[in-house]
Amino acid sequence: MSASFRVLNSRVSALCLFLTPRNHPVQCSVGGRWLSCSQTGDTLRPLEGVRVLDLTRVLAGPFSTMILGDLGAEVVKVERPGAGDDTRAWGPPFVGAESAYFLSVNRNKKSIAVDLKHPKGARIIQELAGVSDVLVENYLPGKLLEMGLGYEQLSRVNPQLIYCSISGYGQTGPQSQSPGYDSIASAVSGMMHITGPEDGDPVRPGVAMTDLATGLYAHGAVMAALLQRHKTGRGVHIDCNLLSSQVSCLSHIAANYLNAGKEAQRWGTAHGSIVPYQGFKTKDGHIVVAAGNDKQFVKVCQVLELKELTDDLKYKTNKLRVQNRKQLLHTLSERFLQEKTSDWLRRFEGSGVPVGPINNIQEVFSDAQVKHNGLIQDMNHPTAGRITVPGPAVRFSSFIPAGPMPPPLIGQHTVQVLRDILSYSDDIIKMLLETKAVAQNEVS
Amino acid sequence: MILGDLGAEVVKVERPGAGDDTRAWGPPFVGAESAYFLSVNRNKKSIAVDLKHPKERESSRSDVLVENYLPGKLLEMGLGYEQLSRVNPQLIYCSISGYGQTGPQSQSPGYDSIASAVSGMMHITGPEDGDPVRPGVAMTDLATGLYAHGAVMAALLQRHKTGRGVHIDCNLLSSQVSCLSHIAANYLNAGKEAQRWGTAHGSIVPYQGFKTKDGHIVVAAGNDKQFVKVCQVLELKELTDDLKYKTNKLRVQNRKQLLHTLSERFLQEKTSDWLRRFEGSGVPVGPINNIQEVFSDAQVKHNGLIQDMNHPTAGRITVPGPAVRFSSFIPAGPMPPPLIGQHTVQVLRDILSYSDDIIKMLLETKAVAQNEVS
Repeated sequence: MSASFRVLNSRVSALCLFLTPRNHPVQCSVGGRWLSCSQTGDTLRPLEGVRVLDLTRVLAGPFSTMILGDLGAEVVKVERPGAGDDTRAWGPPFVGAESAYFLSVNRNKKSIAVDLKHPKGARIIQELAGVSDVLVENYLPGKLLEMGLGYEQLSRVNPQLIYCSISGYGQTGPQSQSPGYDSIASAVSGMMHITGPEDGDPVRPGVAMTDLATGLYAHGAVMAALLQRHKTGRGVHIDCNLLSSQVSCLSHIAANYLNAGKEAQRWGTAHGSIVPYQGFKTKDGHIVVAAGNDKQFVKVCQVLELKELTDDLKYKTNKLRVQNRKQLLHTLSERFLQEKTSDWLRRFEGSGVPVGPINNIQEVFSDAQVKHNGLIQDMNHPTAGRITVPGPAVRFSSFIPAGPMPPPLIGQHTVQVLRDILSYSDDIIKMLLETKAVAQNEVS
Repeated sequence: MILGDLGAEVVKVERPGAGDDTRAWGPPFVGAESAYFLSVNRNKKSIAVDLKHPKERESSRSDVLVENYLPGKLLEMGLGYEQLSRVNPQLIYCSISGYGQTGPQSQSPGYDSIASAVSGMMHITGPEDGDPVRPGVAMTDLATGLYAHGAVMAALLQRHKTGRGVHIDCNLLSSQVSCLSHIAANYLNAGKEAQRWGTAHGSIVPYQGFKTKDGHIVVAAGNDKQFVKVCQVLELKELTDDLKYKTNKLRVQNRKQLLHTLSERFLQEKTSDWLRRFEGSGVPVGPINNIQEVFSDAQVKHNGLIQDMNHPTAGRITVPGPAVRFSSFIPAGPMPPPLIGQHTVQVLRDILSYSDDIIKMLLETKAVAQNEVS
């Protein structure tokens, strides 16, 4: 750790590193609102002081609110009493009673268990929306409106409220009432059509990238709205949806069709217009080679000890290699099969040709750079014990992502939130618990 | 581009001559512009500046700088965060790289396909009994761009409070590994290695694509009730009586046989017929659309995802529109993707207030270049 500290210090002097051990954030109360105060002011996070009311479930929404929490926002996750967020049950594997799925996208949030169908429950959400900066939800369009929790209704009480809706297809339009599922959206949006082996059937990305892209668009949109509010003093209604996120991400694939009528196809690991630029089977796995120009192709032939290929006129330029791809790739494939991945990687070192192994998950998390980037985040969970989740992707020179709150138990913070954010009296809280408008976990 | 869509003034710096490499990435081209370049460069001005020329050196008038050079390269040119923030402590400096600003791999150039491989994305994508493939569009690159656009705005928000800028480290490896979410958590907590599933789901059946007479349909039957509906629509009522398919857990255990039966049935009708029959059933279904079908979809059009505009030399161009809509503005009238160096003189004159003489000198010494179109 100290070696990387020295390197970090010499490279980016603006980074403030504190090696003092960090535990849970210190809780302090300022003006009736709970803030998470860091140990020193120098680790101020961008969204400190921002309160997010989180009505989302499953992946896209929770992923976006988790990033907001990572950036310092106070996230209050609303769950229905009993099961809560469906993904709590999505296992095996479980860690204690918590599914790994739930743990992976719910750190840095408090959980309150509220029955939205109970009139008192809906009232609580209305009141919380009145003292929150942001509300994020992923209900079917119109459902929250029926419960008195739609944008029009809540913004009347709190015109500053930033209301971010996440759905499958959009808040309006012919498909707006279709529930959003990543695999369906991935299919409808063209993502599956373009993913898969060249001569095989479509597949979907191995993790729900459509959901995740939507969460990423949403987290940015919320912050854009916060920036706008500095100028206008008003909130806004944001429409994020799986379909739009994935179609926008089609980028050049879309532009090829929209401008030149060029339909897309599947390419496996390969590239339609660059050869060789793909994965090759090795003796014990796979290696990906990205030889983007003629110079790099020559290097590839050198490393593979297939010098005759560089003399072959039909492989001289990228254009020619694309034309004669089948034969060239056959030759290269046979050669790659003869050695192990690690041997090829060693031989390619210093060649200037970008190469990399196709890592399985164990290999990913054994990678030195992955560890260096803080992508393995440990923390203590009140019942599951020690848990580990993938860490935040982005680093800021102004703070270290230390001491996250573990993913909450269902209803772990119900009483705390009612008491400290809404200033409810003990009697009222007792009544709400007894009438089952809300629920409190035995752990708090 | 997303920042430009949200109203930011984006000044794109390109090297004189070729500019951004992707300008040449075609066919297809529209006029002289590659569709690739057009797809991700609207709402930006282009200035052509030779960074290696000693004369060009100004970023103190900007709120944000975004770069994707190999870590250390800009520092060598006097354009590193430490140097520029001394002149402009408010500057938000967002670095995008392959693996990070520091660390053992920091000097490896960033390529989406390599990062996709190294980060585990390829390993988990592909047919169940086949080789890894990569997502058909560079989702690792795109996810990184999405993280970056959010980070820049987080930094702008922070600056309201602190008055200071920050250095941001975004990279392909971290973006994709973070996006592994539950796949990662399964391994990190339970040692469960991931595998490929094609279009299917490891723990829900039936939840995947099926071949039809003329294409594919994806069915997402997430619970027992929906499974019964699937059997009804397929007119395979005997499956609902079969004890070995009663619960999801059992269907997962007996997946091969069940999927074989369902697959054979789906093959018998066209995709559009199946979609019609599933309407109102409550089972989420959808076609695997090719790109033409995507852009014929009524909801895609409704969401404003087909964005037309006029380009000064290419004529009418069309690109995928912004993904997010705000109630406070309509994304109307985007600036078309710029020609290389189209706004060099305008920017020098209007943002930096350079005199005509100085601009003339910079053009003559080739420190900068101006497109004939402005």
